[in-house]
Amino acid sequence: MPLLIDSAPDCITHNEGAKPADDSLDFILQANYEDCAGFGTFMPGSTYGDEGSGAESLYMIVTWLGIVVMVVVLVAWVLYENRRLIEAATLRRRPGLGGPPPQPGGVGGESP
Amino acid sequence: MLDILIAQVDRLQDAASAESVTRDSVILGEQYYFFTVVLMWLIHAGFMSYETGIARRKNALATAMKNILTIAVVTPTFYYFGWWIYNCNQPGLPIGPNSSDFTGVACQSGIPWSDAFGPNLTNNINLVFFLAFLLFSWTTASIMSGAIIERARLTAYLLLACLLGSVVWILDAAWGWSAGGWLTLRFGFHDSIASGVVHGVAGAFTLGVLFNLGPRIGKYTREGLARQFRPHNLHMTLLGLMLIFTGFYAFYAACLVISSTAFPGWSNIYLSPTTLGSIAMIITMGFAGGFTGGYFASRGDPFWTVSGGLAGVISVSAGADVYAPTLGYLLAMASAAIAVYAGNWIEIKMRVDDCVGAVAVHGVMGFLGMLWVGVFAAGYPTGLNNVDSSLGGQLMGMATFLPLGFLTGWFASWVMKKLNILRVPPQVELMGLDVAEYEPDLYLPEVVSPGETIIEPDGTPVHAETVLLNARNEVRL
Repeated sequence: MPLLIDSAPDCITHNEGAKPADDSLDFILQANYEDCAGFGTFMPGSTYGDEGSGAESLYMIVTWLGIVVMVVVLVAWVLYENRRLIEAATLRRRPGLGGPPPQPGGVGGESP
Repeated sequence: MLDILIAQVDRLQDAASAESVTRDSVILGEQYYFFTVVLMWLIHAGFMSYETGIARRKNALATAMKNILTIAVVTPTFYYFGWWIYNCNQPGLPIGPNSSDFTGVACQSGIPWSDAFGPNLTNNINLVFFLAFLLFSWTTASIMSGAIIERARLTAYLLLACLLGSVVWILDAAWGWSAGGWLTLRFGFHDSIASGVVHGVAGAFTLGVLFNLGPRIGKYTREGLARQFRPHNLHMTLLGLMLIFTGFYAFYAACLVISSTAFPGWSNIYLSPTTLGSIAMIITMGFAGGFTGGYFASRGDPFWTVSGGLAGVISVSAGADVYAPTLGYLLAMASAAIAVYAGNWIEIKMRVDDCVGAVAVHGVMGFLGMLWVGVFAAGYPTGLNNVDSSLGGQLMGMATFLPLGFLTGWFASWVMKKLNILRVPPQVELMGLDVAEYEPDLYLPEVVSPGETIIEPDGTPVHAETVLLNARNEVRL
């Protein structure tokens, strides 16, 4: 039994002692997966025949969680960069930094 | 009785054999697209190297990071809504008369909660096909990235990349780069390897962004004459272009549809017949013609010679599935020469600071490529309705894609400009984005810079300090 969350769709059976895969000649689908075509975590779990059931609502929640996180990350990224750029620009405005901006490799620097 | 039994066994064996052959075909297709995806990464390694070399040393890291982070944002956005846009919008926007098509099976498999996005034994190919399109999306977004370096904010670029890579280009692909797209079904629009669908639209989008972004500080004199900022590492740029070229073969290959158990085995995106060899031939002839045209038009300028190769290939991509090699060679040569002149015109006459010539090489060549099909490859049945390709059909596609690309880029960047999140502060631009955002120099401290040099409009090289000091006063820092 799963420790915390059973994220496998219902089309996967959990029969202990079910026929194991016989890979002596070729790959053969394990018996526990025989009714299941799509079997990703939290996914609806489409079956070959009837419509799958599984953890459909949970999968929607997981998907929308991903969308929300993606949007939050983009907004946070904009705010974070804005803060860093303002800090850097403010630093350059300080008195005594009137010369050409310092360049990588040692060119430019403080004004005389 | 025995005969019947033997016949029954034979039938079962035939059925098993047919199933096996079909499965082999599916797995072959799966592997084919997978390896195109792997090789298309080279395009992004190439874009990174290309743009980093073009940038001045003080912006090298920021430029490279921007390319890498394209992957971080375009991937989830394309997954969450880009693939759905492609699969669900082929008849047009959902407000159209064919909106009932939006409930189709293909549309349903494009939504992010479809079980086609996980391990699915009845749909092996969906995810590798999705990944091939995702790599196209990265490429499309990266086309814009080089044009706006050295003054655009990282996050402004990333948001624009999401819009271009996960919405705009995939919408035009749904319309004109699918067997069921309305441009294809009604007008026979033909753009087999995405001259306009990827490059043209990205170039138009980029132009819209550049109008709002403005030139780099010091790029133009008070009189409006263009100065040249020297690339800090031209070798890195040329290497990047060569990597892009290598990846382009995979890009071309990924634009085909493979079905090894059905004659003729290959087709273009519109499911019309072609061969892998023919498109590989055209891309190679396109490079040859493009390098030549770029070299002579630019009088041997290394940047434009190699960019000419890219321009040449883009210009023949739309008809690469049907062009004769000589036609590809000649069109690429002429087009690359046009790209050089277009690039200079955009920089000098329009005063648009496109750091890598993306608008000319991708935008102008993309639209020219669509036009060439109408002129030189009319009469090829295209799409599920087998409507002949024609000049009118191509013009219809161009008239659709130009505003779609340009206006979305212009409007999105205009909003960002109003929100003051489009461009870095001038102080940061002058000191270099690396110092502000990353601090370390790309190079080891002991690699002392000879100093930044700027070429004045009359060809005189001057130290950047002079120009930057004047520019600093002009922007009132």
